[in-house]
Amino acid sequence: MSEWQPKILAILCNWCSYAGADLAGVSRMQYPPNVRVVRIPCSGRVDPLMILKGLQSGFDGVLVSGCHPGDCHYISGNFVARRRFAVLKPLLEFVGVEPDRVQFSWISAGEGERFAQVVTKVTEDIRKIGPAKRLVKGA
Amino acid sequence: MIRIKKENISGFIEGLMSDYVLFAPVKDGETVSFRKIESADSIAEDYMNTDKSPKDIFFPPAEVLFSFDSGEITKNECSEKPFAVWGLRGCDVKSLTLLNMVFGTARQNPEDEMFQDPYWKEKYDNALIIQTACNDPRSTCFCNWFGGSPHDGEKADILVIYIGDAYLLDPKSDKGRKYLETVKNTEPAAKKDIKEAERLRAEADSSLSAVFELDGIVGRMSGLFNSGVWEEIGAKCVNCGACAFICPTCHCFDVQDEGKGKKGKRIRIWDTCMFPVFTAEASGHNPRELSKDRLRQRFMHKYSYFMENYGEHLCTGCGRCVVVCPVNLDIREVAKKVMSYQS
Amino acid sequence: MVNELREAAGKLLDDGKVDLVIGWAKGSLPLASTPVFISSSDEADQLVFDSTCGNNLTVYFTKDNKKISRDRKKVGIFVKGCDSRSLVLNITEKQLKREDVTIIGVPCSGVIDTRKVRRKAEGREVLEYSQDGDTVTIKGKEFELSVPLEELLSNACLSCLRKDAEEYDLFIGEPRKFSGESDPYSDIEEYENLSADERWERMNEEYSKCIRCYACRNVCPSCYCNVCFVDQNDPQWIGKTPEITDTMIFHIIRNLHIAGRCVECGACERACPMDIRLLYLNRKVAKEVRERFGSDTGTDLDQKPAMADFREDENQDFIMG
Repeated sequence: MSEWQPKILAILCNWCSYAGADLAGVSRMQYPPNVRVVRIPCSGRVDPLMILKGLQSGFDGVLVSGCHPGDCHYISGNFVARRRFAVLKPLLEFVGVEPDRVQFSWISAGEGERFAQVVTKVTEDIRKIGPAKRLVKGA
Repeated sequence: MIRIKKENISGFIEGLMSDYVLFAPVKDGETVSFRKIESADSIAEDYMNTDKSPKDIFFPPAEVLFSFDSGEITKNECSEKPFAVWGLRGCDVKSLTLLNMVFGTARQNPEDEMFQDPYWKEKYDNALIIQTACNDPRSTCFCNWFGGSPHDGEKADILVIYIGDAYLLDPKSDKGRKYLETVKNTEPAAKKDIKEAERLRAEADSSLSAVFELDGIVGRMSGLFNSGVWEEIGAKCVNCGACAFICPTCHCFDVQDEGKGKKGKRIRIWDTCMFPVFTAEASGHNPRELSKDRLRQRFMHKYSYFMENYGEHLCTGCGRCVVVCPVNLDIREVAKKVMSYQS
Repeated sequence: MVNELREAAGKLLDDGKVDLVIGWAKGSLPLASTPVFISSSDEADQLVFDSTCGNNLTVYFTKDNKKISRDRKKVGIFVKGCDSRSLVLNITEKQLKREDVTIIGVPCSGVIDTRKVRRKAEGREVLEYSQDGDTVTIKGKEFELSVPLEELLSNACLSCLRKDAEEYDLFIGEPRKFSGESDPYSDIEEYENLSADERWERMNEEYSKCIRCYACRNVCPSCYCNVCFVDQNDPQWIGKTPEITDTMIFHIIRNLHIAGRCVECGACERACPMDIRLLYLNRKVAKEVRERFGSDTGTDLDQKPAMADFREDENQDFIMG
């Protein structure tokens, strides 16, 4: 068997982070192939249930990324999202899920390089903590 | 009737454990519930009745019916050993016989096995039911409304009566008799033991409150179907499922598939008429839209429909719902209100 | 006090100021009160208020029970401090209009958790319960105990800072003001200091008891979605079995849905038939909301719910730099 590879769910907003990922791709930047991307209209659309469902169905980590504060295509979607994540993250840690399992970032459409860096870092963080066991159905 | 000294009872329990998968009341924080046990001393002693009913031993909250993988279906098998349950109260033993009317016997067509539930039958038919007589019923107990009595063990395989320094074991079925014949370290019950048991029985019987006559409740309930009584009773109900899920006789379920890709399993899950989704239709219409409609269904199933269909009330008077209801909607008061309601 | 309470309700009904009063009446068990709906002054003598009145009656303005209040124009309701905050929250969320409800505050010294009473009685059945000031007497067959009320109080009441209603039309007695800032979250901080493994284990222990009866959700005045996310079946987001991950996700998400909306009344924990310590999650969320966004739920009729609001320069230390 080959070495374990983390499987990471990346939920990216359509206007910034997804475009950033696109730029990383067309610029032929190297980043770990561990992320599976789901495109959503806005980080404000991210329901914490999506993140938990990701963990439950076997992803080792979840990365959520949206536009930088102030750059939201819908003016304030990411501000509302930020409050939501601000509560979700400590709550998950409170129940005992590893802090690095779920991560958030802001990546603009021009930051292809940053996207590659973020994915590299998240992949490394999750590789360090190992396969997800908590909140995973059937684990 | 045989007698086992108090200090020898754990030997009897261990014997049971080697022949059966044994379930018994176990203390879990502040609550007591039936669990599969590994050692005789994990059994809870000071409890009046378990907080959760024992129905989940035979009718689990989520029971895998079968699993599937790319068109191949594997039926879920019961464990190789049959079950024995120690410590059931009379009300709960009766509730199992009521559930058996639904799942176990093919009422519509006795010849047709299609109407029998194999998952229920393989557990219930092979189980050894050991009832412990209640010496000290609670104020919320009302088994006497339904012809029950704290020491009545007629529906069990073995009735156990604790008389202070010993346990009396009274076989109530062939299965129970056969099992007791194999048990060692026993002695026949002495006359004074039987006398003590009779005294305890009389004491327990007299500690129950008076029987409330339910004669004619079936007709009254159907007559009140559209009356305002349900609004009056149901005003405070918040429609949670606490009453139904701790009830030993509520048995409604939902069937769902859980899986990913071509792999998965079909599961039977407890459901209750208290929840709006229980009757929600695909169109969005819900025939039991309001809280009072759902509450009416529950009480009519208990005291009207089941009697019409099976000749028994679907309630054994265990009193659990009386204790857990978050708004103190007392089923005894519902019955009384229905019987005295003037529209 | 009980007489004043009954008089107040009777007078409101007689004067035609309200068509219905929602309050508490004596229940069928010694440790239980029961919600009661009074529509004429001669029924008002059923009303009581004591430490067994744990239900948050604001729930009757929500979900299908809304029908009770929808059919009547003007409703009077008895509230403890926490219940009044629920009412204010529901008003700010446009679930009802302030002018349609007559709020009657009652002085609350905390409500009991029946499980704590059972624990004191060591499993013996409690047949009588009476309270004299701060002392409670519980009686059963062959036992009688005197216990300080404090030891029987619901966990929510132990950390309560606003015992009495601050928004009311009528108050029975003299309302006490906000008791000032103390440290209401010391229990949560203690829990946070446990190791992650320990926290995970404890959470598993608690939530594996859940039977998915939704009593916690249904007694909660902040939980009023027409269709709850667990009841959605197309798509079905989470499984309905008492499987531990489904159960935990239900509770985590429910708590996020009431983030900044939970008044910490503890009705959920008291309603739980399986004795789950539900408030840990509620209070952790409430603590985060209070610390990060400075919001105190249900204390201001003009308040914007914390999770629907934002400031541009907010702390975002949890986002990757």
